[in-house]
Amino acid sequence: MSYVSLENSEPFLKCFEVIAEDKSCIVSDSVLYFSGKTGKGFITVAGIPSGIEVLAVNVSMLTDDLTFSFLPSQSSSSYILSFDEIGAPGKDNELSMSYPSLPAERFHSSVTITDADYGRLVTYPKERVIRSLIIRVQKSSLDGLIQDFDAGTIRSILQSTTSTTSLSWPITFKYRLLLNDFMSEILQHPFRELFTIRNISVLVEYLLQQSFVMDKLVKEGDYLSAQDMYNLTKVEQHLCANYKTEFPGIEKLSRISAMSPTSLKTKFKKYYGETLFSYYQKNKLEHARKLLDNKVPVKVVATEIGYSNPSHFTLAFKKEYGFSPWHYLNPH
Amino acid sequence: MKSLNPLAHSLNTGSPHRFSERLPVGITLTCFSQSSEQLDVALPAMEEEGLLLTFVYYKGDLQITTGDGKEQLQQVSPGIGLLSAADRSLQFNSSGPISFSAVSLFIARDWIDNFMRNNENFKKIEQVVKREENIVSCRLGRKQLTLLSSIIAYNRDNHSNLLEIQNHALGLLEYSFCCRHRSLSGVSSADAIDNEDDLSLIREVESYISEYYCSDTFTVDSILKKTYTSYHKLNFLFKSIHGMTISEYIRNKRIERSKEMIADNVKSISQIAYEIGYSSISNYILAFKKIYRITPGKYKKQIDSIA
Repeated sequence: MSYVSLENSEPFLKCFEVIAEDKSCIVSDSVLYFSGKTGKGFITVAGIPSGIEVLAVNVSMLTDDLTFSFLPSQSSSSYILSFDEIGAPGKDNELSMSYPSLPAERFHSSVTITDADYGRLVTYPKERVIRSLIIRVQKSSLDGLIQDFDAGTIRSILQSTTSTTSLSWPITFKYRLLLNDFMSEILQHPFRELFTIRNISVLVEYLLQQSFVMDKLVKEGDYLSAQDMYNLTKVEQHLCANYKTEFPGIEKLSRISAMSPTSLKTKFKKYYGETLFSYYQKNKLEHARKLLDNKVPVKVVATEIGYSNPSHFTLAFKKEYGFSPWHYLNPH
Repeated sequence: MKSLNPLAHSLNTGSPHRFSERLPVGITLTCFSQSSEQLDVALPAMEEEGLLLTFVYYKGDLQITTGDGKEQLQQVSPGIGLLSAADRSLQFNSSGPISFSAVSLFIARDWIDNFMRNNENFKKIEQVVKREENIVSCRLGRKQLTLLSSIIAYNRDNHSNLLEIQNHALGLLEYSFCCRHRSLSGVSSADAIDNEDDLSLIREVESYISEYYCSDTFTVDSILKKTYTSYHKLNFLFKSIHGMTISEYIRNKRIERSKEMIADNVKSISQIAYEIGYSSISNYILAFKKIYRITPGKYKKQIDSIA
């Protein structure tokens, strides 16, 4: 197992020195590429001198688990946010059902907020496709970012993290899309700093939106068991991966999650704030919007995301966003 | 979901509308919109050092003047982004009826130092702004106009939040820098094309051509299918940038490549013709003759006699 261990106040750049020690890898322009026995991919860092540090990990098929450990220290007062997406390799619709013996929480995609005073351990499993952003942000900077939002709830949640040391939420399709875009563009982008800060800002916005849902869940006192959460993330993953085909149907989803249809419905709604179908539909239409941005014509988009009839697609798009795809392309 | 065209709404009301916010990330955003018979708006020079990015959307005749009055820009595109040093003032005038809205982002010196200190690309842009003593402008594409209109529609009481505005603003900022960066790094941007979407299309087609032009299954049709454009549009764009039609462009590329291959003196003429994607030798010879007024065989002999 590869192990990277950092004092909390040390810069993220130091990660590279540690990983680079015994691996076949190249470091260039603060990007670490490695290949061969450790898998393929890159890790990059964008140190932004205003108290935000970013470590982006985009690797696939590691032959060994990779662990980052941020040791607890009292000297720097910051939060560690991590957005991890861990997917199964190969076919998109294949489910990661194989590691039943391993502790589930380390191996599924999640959004995590940790108080850096208590340290943080991130393990990336082998033989997986991993896209992950680890952001260390000073408490004061984050407060600056969220102060104008209806910030009462989020701050109380962040303060309550001191008691539980870490807060973990499920990852949603919005994060997935953003991570995907981020990883594919970061290396070529001429203004990496600007690009990074914009994406972080968007991520924080998503995070705050999600916080309302999660806050409600906590207030209502309905905690889901770890097993339930794991099963729900499997369902979510299945819905996200199969956006091109038709909605899988409640029976199949309930089989995947090992829950009864009714309890799946209610628990999913609670955990993700959306019903199963509307979650599936939103993901689908976000994909469509991205295709439209790339100047793919409406007809082709419709078939691409699995509509047999373009006017059905137009209707669904209009229902979701309030304007038709054509209007989206020609707003003025 | 908000209406996608809030501009129309805010512009029709007629009364000037203005707000200013300091975004959490440290940029100051000022928004102004007005619709009237005449326009005389000045953005005063800032006392602090920094950069000012102004995005303008308008319908009507607009004249943009810098503080010292010597620089005059007349624009044809309805949406433009202006990059200037903050210690220079900008003036917007119109003698006719106009609907006008502007969003300006002020970026302080120390913010730039914080974020972009080590970025070579940014240094180049900054030099241009300093050296040219005027405004650097870029035209906005569809996506940017959408971002711009959602900033203008921002209303504090209306459920939209500041973080969202910040994301839009950062998006605009990133775009205009990237646009400037591309034009600095030598990608042609002809005056005839006033649309960022078209420019990126051309770039995409060019890179596609340079990758596949030697393949024998490569046709103009395959480009059209790949980029979802019409032949006429593509031809028009190519003519205004390269001064030739798309098939001429491809032919030139192929013949140039064949010229290099002849000079290498490894393969026969017929082999070369097949390799660069011609299905018959006579077609190739004709095409070669059209450009160099000489057949490839004679050209080969010339080269051999020199060598």
